[in-house]
Amino acid sequence: MIASSRREFVKAGGLALAGFGLAPLFMKRFSNPGAPEVIEMRSDTMGAHVWFDPIGLYVEPGTTARWIVRDNVHTTTAYHPRNDKHALRIPEGAVPWDSGYLVKPGEYFDVRLDVPGVYDYYCTPHEGAGMVGRIVVGDSRGPGAQPFDYWVDKPGTDGWRRVPDAARTAFPSIKRILSERRVHPPARDR
Amino acid sequence: MKAIPVVVLAGVLSVGMLVATPNTAVAQREAARAGDTTLAPLHEPPGGPYRKVSGLVPLPDFVPGLGTLYVDPATLPAGPFLAYDHQGNLVSSIYMIPLKDMNAHKAFSGLKVAQERVNHVDIMFNAGHPGVAEPHYHVILWYVSPQRAAQLVK
Repeated sequence: MIASSRREFVKAGGLALAGFGLAPLFMKRFSNPGAPEVIEMRSDTMGAHVWFDPIGLYVEPGTTARWIVRDNVHTTTAYHPRNDKHALRIPEGAVPWDSGYLVKPGEYFDVRLDVPGVYDYYCTPHEGAGMVGRIVVGDSRGPGAQPFDYWVDKPGTDGWRRVPDAARTAFPSIKRILSERRVHPPARDR
Repeated sequence: MKAIPVVVLAGVLSVGMLVATPNTAVAQREAARAGDTTLAPLHEPPGGPYRKVSGLVPLPDFVPGLGTLYVDPATLPAGPFLAYDHQGNLVSSIYMIPLKDMNAHKAFSGLKVAQERVNHVDIMFNAGHPGVAEPHYHVILWYVSPQRAAQLVK
């Protein structure tokens, strides 16, 4: 790994709490000094099939998730209105992330997940093909635990983009993630 | 001074012609193409309106499975994208057709061609990439054999 290829984003949630003076207590209680949880960003040679592996992951609050490119070009991008008007599907207190394009194999992007709840994310060029993933942090609360169209007709959601059909069918269920902790994509996608 | 036998002279000339003919043919072909601006250049960089794709969007210079890509931005998303191998030789022309345009029965007509002898054609699904960030099909007109195309993996 060359230094210039390393991009980090280690603040989801913690910064939101810092303003209330709660971050130290929160982070002490849930801090995880261990290695990051790695999520590979994969593809076949011709780019016909793309996937995150694992596609579903359970972690404790304070864990750092690391997305690393193995093949093709990808992003990891949180479902959040700040990211091109995507629907909110991460905890309301968490800071959204967008890695931008990770082009070279081995490039990676880190996000520390402090706020408990469900985090749904996608790959920008591949969302329409169903390249999405889900992380459950601590427990299954928040917008990510709601049905995909929970926000329709609610104030303040003008222009939000619906989750594409291919992505809806790709997400593993929260129940399965809580049961298995690491959910791999179907064999046909690997 | 000895006279060179006619047979020997003829042999030398024949060999010389055999060696020279392919280069002459290539040169003639290049010369014929040079005046036709509608044809894709056989060697990288193609010049004209074509831009290296990796300079337009975040993609590697050499895309595994395809090669080094160039496109006239005015023709996006369909292209053609011109693909060159590591030696800078044109190996394919690629047309990228979004699924949504297929489903909308959109027509793509008058697309440019390289007018090289097409060896074979691949029509392959692609999940998306910067530049055409949605599911689409690659229609690939290969000017090289499947064996040479397979060498473009890296």
